[in-house]
Amino acid sequence: MSLSPIDITIFLLSISVILFFARGFGEILRYLKQPIVIGEIIAGIILGPTILGTLFPDTFNSLFNQSEEVVIALNGITLLGVVMLLLISGIEIDLSLVLRQSKAAVIISVLGIIFPFGIGFFSAYLFPQYLGLTDYNMRLVYALFVGTALSITALPVVARTLMDLQIFKSEIGYLIMAAAMFNDLIGWIIFSVVLGMIGQNTEHSLSLSSLIIVILGFILFVLLFVRKFINYAIPFIQKRFTFPGGVLNFIFVLGFLGAAFTEYIGVHAIFGVFIVGIAIGDSVHLKEETREIIYQFVTNIFAPLFFVSIGLRINFIENFDLVLVTVFLVLAFAGKVIGCSLGAYLGGLNKNDSLIIGFGMNSRGAMEIVLGTLAYQYGLVNEKVFVAIVIMALVTSISSAPIMNYFLKKAKTKLRFDMLLKNETIIFSKVKSKTELINELCTNVANYHKLNFNTVYNEVMKREELISTGLEKHLAIPHARINIKEPIVAVAIQPDGIEWNSLDNLPAKFIVLLLTPADKPEIQLKLLSDIAKKFNDVKIIDDIISSRYSHELISKVKQLY
Amino acid sequence: MIFNKIGLAITFSPNGLPLLKSAVRLQKLFNCQLCLIHVGDKNPETESQIKNLVEKTGISEKSFSLIWKKGEPSKSIISAASENGIDLLIAGALEKENVIKYYLGSVARTIMRESPCSVLILTNPCEEPKEFKKFCVSVDFTSLGESAVRKSYQFAKLENAEEFMMIKEFEVPGLAITVYDSGSTDDTEKSKQEWQIEEEEKLKFFAKELNLTGLYYSTVALFGRQGWEARNFVKNNGTDLFVIPSPPKKLKFFDKLFQHDIEFILSKLPCSLLIIRE
Repeated sequence: MSLSPIDITIFLLSISVILFFARGFGEILRYLKQPIVIGEIIAGIILGPTILGTLFPDTFNSLFNQSEEVVIALNGITLLGVVMLLLISGIEIDLSLVLRQSKAAVIISVLGIIFPFGIGFFSAYLFPQYLGLTDYNMRLVYALFVGTALSITALPVVARTLMDLQIFKSEIGYLIMAAAMFNDLIGWIIFSVVLGMIGQNTEHSLSLSSLIIVILGFILFVLLFVRKFINYAIPFIQKRFTFPGGVLNFIFVLGFLGAAFTEYIGVHAIFGVFIVGIAIGDSVHLKEETREIIYQFVTNIFAPLFFVSIGLRINFIENFDLVLVTVFLVLAFAGKVIGCSLGAYLGGLNKNDSLIIGFGMNSRGAMEIVLGTLAYQYGLVNEKVFVAIVIMALVTSISSAPIMNYFLKKAKTKLRFDMLLKNETIIFSKVKSKTELINELCTNVANYHKLNFNTVYNEVMKREELISTGLEKHLAIPHARINIKEPIVAVAIQPDGIEWNSLDNLPAKFIVLLLTPADKPEIQLKLLSDIAKKFNDVKIIDDIISSRYSHELISKVKQLY
Repeated sequence: MIFNKIGLAITFSPNGLPLLKSAVRLQKLFNCQLCLIHVGDKNPETESQIKNLVEKTGISEKSFSLIWKKGEPSKSIISAASENGIDLLIAGALEKENVIKYYLGSVARTIMRESPCSVLILTNPCEEPKEFKKFCVSVDFTSLGESAVRKSYQFAKLENAEEFMMIKEFEVPGLAITVYDSGSTDDTEKSKQEWQIEEEEKLKFFAKELNLTGLYYSTVALFGRQGWEARNFVKNNGTDLFVIPSPPKKLKFFDKLFQHDIEFILSKLPCSLLIIRE
């Protein structure tokens, strides 16, 4: 069996059309600050039976339904796309991070899975009719699937959101990433068991217990032995073979081998490649450069083929079931947001930060869609449920960033000068000496924040005597670590300047008092460097000290951020 | 005073004498007590062997105390250290152990991981102990980190060191994933640079707050896998003493299996290592 010249033409043409539309819509969505993957799915819906197939059925059929051979070829290539997608999903999991999480991250991870899984499982098991189950023999498997589907978190979308909100490198960002990685790992393991169970009902001979043993054995073997082997092999290959060709080849060879093995034992191919990916990603010898090459190549060429192909197979309008979509959405939000927020809250975070984490973990993006597609291909879910799952994935992904942003604005733990600045703690001073000014600042802060004046004043003076806190360009930051929960700043303006023994011998005109929690030394360093960085220009300082009112000063400071 | 009491397990291996000489040198440098620990039977033969060794260093019998212990070497040394108020244990170690020893644990490695007090591991002790000239401290922004810098800075001053460097590693897990969705490496690179600057600034303030005077110091922020980056940096820099604050938790077998942080340094020592514990 081979492709005729016309088949080959159509095949290549359809791939270029898919890639063109995928990129086009991806870029539009990126411009709207949304995940690119959503654009790719929309491209599929437009090119598929939903829009193009309805309006121009001939064009649609000649592009995507020309002959059986072309469809098979396209399916083969989208399979390759999803396998590669799972390879990089594995590579990006930081195993050491998953294995040594902080207490809060562990609780978030665990509740973030158990809670949504439980809600999904019991809803589907007790009320299967509302969740679209058709074959009652599959009740248990189906309930397990719904549980898994609800407990997925999509790492790439989460990472992108955190980056856009500028909290990637923060405690919340760290917690979300650690928990999301754990979630991914456990989610795929459960799902692989579910897929294995579907296979069981048909022709496969492995019993459930032996299936679980084989899966666990495979995970252990890859993560213990293959991982060590990879760690020795990569530097060897980098030295002896051409770079990056040798390493790229090695990674894909291993990945496809893993995929072939799990497919053989009756669990989908993507599971094997995912676990092998984890083992590869753990190697310290894997260069950042190599990672990026694989990521670029897979996410820009192969993954879009897969995501667009989803829309090509199904009519989204015909199969849209409002009740089903609503049920899935409600369960998805309830399970994940409650589970993760509760976990964060029990882990010691405040309510607001907990909600940020809850909504952050709620985006399901690409991973959910992969999961839904496989379930659909295996015949576990019908078109309507599949459409509901895709829509649920899209809605949770899109809503995540704006909701997080809303809570971020209300967040209490503020680690930026402009956020800590308050009208009441700004003074326009006339005093002539450093001690008088510090006294004035401390009095004001002690009154406003109900602190003991003597403690604050003594600590600040003690620090001042050690080495001067005068920086350059009329800026001085007297500071102390005291027994408080959240950092406090206060500002004094003295246009005539006060001798502060500064590095550049200039008098201090803009003085910031900085008090930080004694048990968190890093907060002090963060705020000190933040303030020093923002006010390292004479023009900025001159502009600030020309302010006549507190609110004027605050608005000038806010403009710097 | 940096350390009050130095402890050294005395052995009759080829490394025994160089280690003893190094310990004696440090005792004089720190002006502190020296405590020798021998794990094994106390009999005329071992006693004379020890006497022999000590004579070669030219120190008087009064300037040190000798403790006899029986049992498994690493455990005995560790218990001798806590019983006798030793606050610095000295041991020699190979840069790298073979695979079997790595998982089972050699005496020196076990001490590094489980000692209750600070540990100094010498990779190349020699008969004519040399001063440490290039110091490098791995910093974390905790009070133990502060104390590690203070102690090693005093140490470096005593040694009249040529270089004193503070490095801060920072890791942003999953950064490469952000490239994945937007496809833009530039944004990620830009954030990485911003974080680098931020970490460097923080490190400078950290150093400034410690008010270190008398010896020039430099600061470096390193982006990458914790432990691994520092190890390679120190190795390439030609540092001869690397100082690290001890990890908060005791390291177990599991940590050897899935290496992280300090395990990268312990499994393949870049140079002599000082682990600060309080």
